[in-house]
Amino acid sequence: MRSWKNHVRGELQQRDQTEKLPFIGVFTSLSQMEERFEFRKTCLDDVQSKSLDRGGREVGKDTRLLHLQLRESEHLAEKLSQTVSDLTTVLYLKEAELQYWQSRVSHFRQEALSLAKGSNTMKATLSEFEYTVECQSKELAALRTEQKGINQALEQACREKEELLQRWMEEKREEADRLNKYNAAQERWQRFAKQLKKHLHNARTKEFVPIVTSSWCGEAEMPTSVIQRINNTYRGHSEHNHV
Amino acid sequence: MADDKDVLRDVWFGRIPTCFLLNQDEVTEREAEPYYLLLPRVSYLTLVTDKVKKHFHKVIRTDDAEEMWFEYEGTPLKWHYPIGVLFDLHASNTVLPWSITVHFKNFPERDLLHCPSHSVIEAHFMSSIKEADALKHKSQVVNDMQKKDHKQLWMGLQNDKFDQFWAMNRKLMEYPTEDGGFRFIPFRIYQHSLHTFIATFLLCFVPVSAVCSYCSDTRSLSSPTLSDRPFIQKQFRPVSPEGHVHTLGDLLKEVYPVALPNEGGPKRFQVVIHGIEPLLETPLQWLSEHLSHPDSFLHICVIPVPSD
Repeated sequence: MRSWKNHVRGELQQRDQTEKLPFIGVFTSLSQMEERFEFRKTCLDDVQSKSLDRGGREVGKDTRLLHLQLRESEHLAEKLSQTVSDLTTVLYLKEAELQYWQSRVSHFRQEALSLAKGSNTMKATLSEFEYTVECQSKELAALRTEQKGINQALEQACREKEELLQRWMEEKREEADRLNKYNAAQERWQRFAKQLKKHLHNARTKEFVPIVTSSWCGEAEMPTSVIQRINNTYRGHSEHNHV
Repeated sequence: MADDKDVLRDVWFGRIPTCFLLNQDEVTEREAEPYYLLLPRVSYLTLVTDKVKKHFHKVIRTDDAEEMWFEYEGTPLKWHYPIGVLFDLHASNTVLPWSITVHFKNFPERDLLHCPSHSVIEAHFMSSIKEADALKHKSQVVNDMQKKDHKQLWMGLQNDKFDQFWAMNRKLMEYPTEDGGFRFIPFRIYQHSLHTFIATFLLCFVPVSAVCSYCSDTRSLSSPTLSDRPFIQKQFRPVSPEGHVHTLGDLLKEVYPVALPNEGGPKRFQVVIHGIEPLLETPLQWLSEHLSHPDSFLHICVIPVPSD
């Protein structure tokens, strides 16, 4: 029970303990006694006035007492009938209230039934969704595993590709070196050939003069020393190249 | 819906023991004895004091008697305020029974409304109910009622019939479930007399002797209540637009923050409804359904904390 509600209940009871309960007995008794006194006074006055009306003879004390008792009984009977009437009214009101609350109970029962039905439907739907979620979770896990494998294969392929690329690069580097060496050798041969040609040309030029001189004598003939020098030079370059 | 019926019954059957004394200035044929009565907190003075009038009419000269009116320690008691509100506002710390002085002369025209018959009380009561329903339901519920239903409300109050009254009043306490409460809460906040408020405020700063001197000087002033504004009444929802349930503390913070103690400071005022101090966290909707007076208003009294 909520504390603020309990607090109000407790305070109201405390208030009545202070303000109402100590006085209700005395005040109620006083009020009833005053009411009875007033009533008896009225009855007595009435009886006395009636007795005087009947020719001035005063009625005896017992008769007055009987009159008073009769009137008081009538008054009490009237009050009782009023109380009965009030209680009957209260009874009707309670019955009407009971019908009202019964109709509200019925209404809330209907509402509870429809809510329970709706709740069951939603529970079934919920379990279906839970099953679907579970299946999809499993699928997802399988797909993730597959993806992991594929990623690993991809990594492997990338590594192999990288290795191949490195090897190819290495091969190309070696081929380039070979080509460079071949080109360098070619260049040297060409330079050598050029030198030889130059030498030959120079030798021919030098020998031509003596040949030209000897030709004045006869056939043109290269001196033997020049030919040996040319052959030695050629042999030396070719051995050098083959190394 | 007002489901806590025990609280409803305790509120309805609250009583204040009262002793009615005839004013000494009244001319009497013999000595007037006091009249004792248990007054219903939820009713009105002029509705329940026919016996008082009859009692004192026996001793005074009826030729000289004017309209009966009541006073407590010099303050005329407004009959159109519920009896419990008058007691909490003026005499909550007094020794019981509450002593009220009865007058038959010098009616205070400036302070009190005339009440020549019970039909005036009925008109005032029904007017309050309609005003409250205008705030709660845009008058839809009270307008849907038949005249006999209105009569049942009045007769229930007049004859002190709890079941008869609530058989009809429960309709005025219903609301659509999706709304979470009434449209606005019908409430009125009453403050104690102005000079008492000032005296309480001054006690925080000046000696008691100076305050007593002030009180004796100002007590002769007329209109002891705030004449321009006898009570505070504003539109206030039981639930905020965000769905936050408003409490009594929220209401006071919004419309009358003086009533709340400062943080860490002493408590200066009591917030009293039907003679009790509900906790500030009590939901306002529940208070309106269960602690309203029969006129559907939540009458809240803010009084200084007793010094003793």
